[in-house]
Amino acid sequence: MSELSATVMNLPRRDAQDKLRGRTKYTNDRVRPDMLHAVLLRSPVPAGHIRKLDVSAALRCPGVRAVATGADAPGLYGIGIADHPLLAIDTIRYHGEPIAVVAAETEKQARAALAVIVLEVEPLAPVSTMAEALQPAARLVHEGWRGYEVITEGGARAGNIAWEAKSSRGDVDAAFARPDIRIVESSFTVGRQSHVPFEPRVAIGSWEDGRAHIQTSTQVPWTVRNVTGRVMQLAPGRVRVTVPPVGGGFGLKFDASIEPITALLARMTGRTVVLENTRQEEMATCLCRENAEIRIRSAVTAEGYIAGREAVVLMDCGAYGGEQVFLTTMTAHTLAGNYRVGATRLVSRAVYTNTPPNGAFRACNGVYNTFALERHTDEICDALGLDPMEFRKKNVLGDGDLGATGQVFEADVLVPMLDRMEALRASTGTSEAKADGRLYGIATTVGTWFVFVGPSTATVNLNADGSATLVTSGVEIGSGTMVQSLPQIVAGQLGLAPDQVIVREADTDAAGLDVGVGGGRTTVSIGAASLAACAEVREKLLRTAGEMLQTRPEDLVLRDGRVEITGRPGSGMSIPAVVAHAQATTGPITGSGAFTARNTPAMSGCAMGHFIDALDIPVFVVHEAEVAVDPDTGHVEVLAYRVVQDVGRALNPRAILGQIQGGVVQGLGYALHEEVTLTADGRIAQDDFETYRLPLAQDVIPVAADLYEGAPSMGPLGTKGAGEVPILAVGAAIGCAVARAIGKPVRQLPLTPPRVLRLLHEREPPPEFPHIAPGWASNTLG
Amino acid sequence: MTVTFQLNGEDCSFHGDPMTPLVDILRRERFLTGTKAVCREGFCGACTVHVDDEAVPSCLKPIGLVQGCAVTTIEGLSSGNQALHPLQANFEAADAVQCGMCFPGMVMSLSAFVRDNPHASRPEIKAAMVGNICRCTGYERIVDAVADCLDQARKAGQSVGGIHV
Repeated sequence: MSELSATVMNLPRRDAQDKLRGRTKYTNDRVRPDMLHAVLLRSPVPAGHIRKLDVSAALRCPGVRAVATGADAPGLYGIGIADHPLLAIDTIRYHGEPIAVVAAETEKQARAALAVIVLEVEPLAPVSTMAEALQPAARLVHEGWRGYEVITEGGARAGNIAWEAKSSRGDVDAAFARPDIRIVESSFTVGRQSHVPFEPRVAIGSWEDGRAHIQTSTQVPWTVRNVTGRVMQLAPGRVRVTVPPVGGGFGLKFDASIEPITALLARMTGRTVVLENTRQEEMATCLCRENAEIRIRSAVTAEGYIAGREAVVLMDCGAYGGEQVFLTTMTAHTLAGNYRVGATRLVSRAVYTNTPPNGAFRACNGVYNTFALERHTDEICDALGLDPMEFRKKNVLGDGDLGATGQVFEADVLVPMLDRMEALRASTGTSEAKADGRLYGIATTVGTWFVFVGPSTATVNLNADGSATLVTSGVEIGSGTMVQSLPQIVAGQLGLAPDQVIVREADTDAAGLDVGVGGGRTTVSIGAASLAACAEVREKLLRTAGEMLQTRPEDLVLRDGRVEITGRPGSGMSIPAVVAHAQATTGPITGSGAFTARNTPAMSGCAMGHFIDALDIPVFVVHEAEVAVDPDTGHVEVLAYRVVQDVGRALNPRAILGQIQGGVVQGLGYALHEEVTLTADGRIAQDDFETYRLPLAQDVIPVAADLYEGAPSMGPLGTKGAGEVPILAVGAAIGCAVARAIGKPVRQLPLTPPRVLRLLHEREPPPEFPHIAPGWASNTLG
Repeated sequence: MTVTFQLNGEDCSFHGDPMTPLVDILRRERFLTGTKAVCREGFCGACTVHVDDEAVPSCLKPIGLVQGCAVTTIEGLSSGNQALHPLQANFEAADAVQCGMCFPGMVMSLSAFVRDNPHASRPEIKAAMVGNICRCTGYERIVDAVADCLDQARKAGQSVGGIHV
C-alpha cells in the first residue's frame, strides 16, 4: 500500500515546544481576573439525609453572585442508569459529595460564604464495603433504585446491585463433574488506584446567546454536553463544549463530573465561572479504578486442558453506578479472552457502597482481572505440576477459539507473541545476577484487552495553500494521537506532509458526535473517520485534476503535495492549483467521514447485561517481569521488564514505545505501592502526594519492548489502540514474579513491603469472601 | 507589606500578605502560567522556579522571602523566539513530552542540576529527579535526554545552559 510508507514515521510532537516552554494553556491556565470563582460545599459524612440546607446567609456575603443547590439542577445522569444528581438532593451517599456551590468574585469570598451555609444532616450508618452491601438486610444506598431511568436496557439490578452482567457458554456443571479433572479455586482482592492527572478536573462555564459554553479538561466533550443537558434539563444542543490541551486523563476524565456546575452558575449570574478541584478534593473524590473481589474456579485435566471455568467478580462502584455499570461487561472478555476453555460462566456485579464513586482508569477492569487470572493460572500449574510457560503456550486462544460469549477469535496471535517474548529475553539476557542474594522471581504473563470502537466523525477541508484542516471531537490528553497518528493518517492519504495537516481541537459545535478519547480508540475510530473523509477529498481532488489534465482520475496519484500521473514523478500539477480550480468551478474541496463499531456477533444466549457482547478489535499483550525481594524488608525491586504488544500496525513506533514505558510504570505503581484505603467514615485516606505514593524516577527501569504487527484489525491501515493497553498485565507479571520469588501465593495488590513481609512469614490472611456464595448461580440475580 | 524582587530580569513589586506562596503571585497576578501548581506541597516539582539561580518549589516559597531576589520562571529561561535551552531541545528531540504539565518544573529543576553537575551519571540524574514527578512518561526518556545533553556539552567543551542561567 503506497500511502503506508508515507504514513509510518516517528513524527515528533508539534505541541512539545510550547509545553516545554510553559506556553501551552491548559484549562486551569485560562483563569482571568473577570471570572467568578466557584467552590463546593461537600458532605462531611458518608451517608445521611439532608434535614436543612439554608443558603440565605451565604447569598448576603460580600462578593457572592450566586449559590446553587440540587434543586437548581434536578436532572439525574449516569452510564446505563441515571442515578447521579449533580448536587446531592435530600440524600447524601458519600463523604465529599457536592451539596451546594457558591460563585463569588474571589475564591476567598466564595469560601467565606460556604462557611455560613446552614447544613443539618441526619447521619445514617454507612454501607462501607461490598460485603456489607450484599447482606440480605443491608440498607439500600439508593432507596429509589427501581424508579431510576434505565438508559441502557439489559442488565439485572436489585437493591445494592447497581448492575449485573453474566456470560455463560457450555455445560459448566458437567465439566466440573468430570472424573478426570482437578478443581483449582483462587480468591483475589485489589484496592483502588488514583489517577493523579497533573491537571485536576476543572471547567470554565459561560452563558452565550442563550446557550452554555463549557471549556474543560475532559476526555469526553460529548458526554459533558449531554450530561449538562440532562442535569439542567436543557436540550443538549444548547450546550457547547470546547477542550483545551488536557493535562493528563488516564480515564478519570472519561465521565462528566463538576463541569455542568459551571454552566448552571453561568446561567444564574451571566458571568464566566471557573471551578477547579483543589488537589485534596481531586484525590478525595477521584473516580478511581475500583476495588474488586474476584473468585475463580477451574476444572483442569491432568494434561492441562481447562474443561470448565467459573468466576464471580464484585466491583465497587461506590455511591453511584458510573462507569462500573458499563465495565461489568469487560469481565467476560478479560477473564475468558485469553485461554481456551471448554465451558465457562462468569458473573460481574457493580455494587453500591457509601464511598466516593469509582470510574474508568486505563484498561479498567482488565488490570485486576488479568492479575487474578494469571495468578490463578500459576496456581493451576502448581497444583498439577505443569510448566507455566508450556501451559500458556498450549492453552492461549488461537484462530477459531471461542471467548466467554461465544465470540470466535481470529488468527493465532498469543502463541507467536509468546515466542517473540522468548526471543526478546534471549536478546536482552536476564537479570538474576542483580538479585544479589535476595529472593529472585521471573514470570511471563498474557493479557487480552480491546479497542473501545464506537462512533466518531471527521471532516477534512482542503485549503488553497495545500494544507488540510482536520475537524474532529478528538482531544489531546498527552497520548499524542491528535498530534501524531491523526495528522500522519491524513497526510498519508492526501500526499501531504504531516505539518500541512491542521488539527482542530475539540468543539462540539464544530465536529460531530464522538464517544471520546479513551479505550485505545482515538487512532482507530477517529482515524477511520478521517480516512473516510480523506477518501471523499481524494475523489474530488482527482476528479478535478483529471479534468484539468485530461487524464482519467484512476491514473492519478497524490504524492509530495502534487497530483501526478501514475509512474511519472514530477508530472501533473500542485495540489493548490487543483484546489484553486475547484474553488472557482465546483466549490471548495471538503470531505466528511464517519465510523462506528462493527458489532461482532456473540453466540446467542451467551451474554446477558453486556454493553459489548463481543470484541470488534481484541488487543493482546505478553508481559514479563524479573524481581528481587528483600527478605528482611519486603521491598520488591523490579530488575527487568519486557513487553511484546499487539499493535496491529505501528504508525509511530517511537510514540508507542513512549506509551509502553509510561503505561508499564503506572502499572508498577498499582502493583507495588499505589494504595488507596478508606477510613472508618468512608473517606479516601490518601488525598495528597505525601500519602499516595506515586512512582518516582528511581523506582523505574527502562522497559524492553517489541511491537507485534500483523494481527487482524478493522482499524485504519490495520492499526489497534496502543496507549491504553501497556498497563494491562503489569499487576499480573509482578504478582506472579513475586509469588515465585517468595514461594507463597500472592492474592492481593499492591505488594507493599509490609504486605510482602506478612506473606513471607505467613501472617497475611488470604482473602475470604463470605458474601460470595459457594454455588455460582447463587451469586446471580437469576 | 511590600516585597520587591526581580522577575525574569525586570523589577517587580508585590503588596500584600508576605506569606502568599510565590506560585500564586506568578500564576494569578503575573499570568505566568508556565509554573504549574499541582500538589502545592513541595512533592511534585511542577512549580519549580529559580530563585537566585537555585531551583526551588514556588509553592513552598512565601513571597516575603524573595525580597531582593532574582526569580526566573520557565518563561524567562528561553523567552520570545530565543532558542530552546539545550535540555528543552533534547526533550523535544527525544519525544519525551506527553501531557506536558510536569515539564516546565522538570526543566527548571534539571537546568540547575546540569549546570552544577556536568559529569552526573544516570543514577545521579535519577536521584536529582526525586522532587519532580511525572505521571505520563515513566521517566526513562527524560533521564536519557538529560544524559545526552550532558554528553553533548562535554563533547563541545561547554557547560549546559551556561549562557542562559
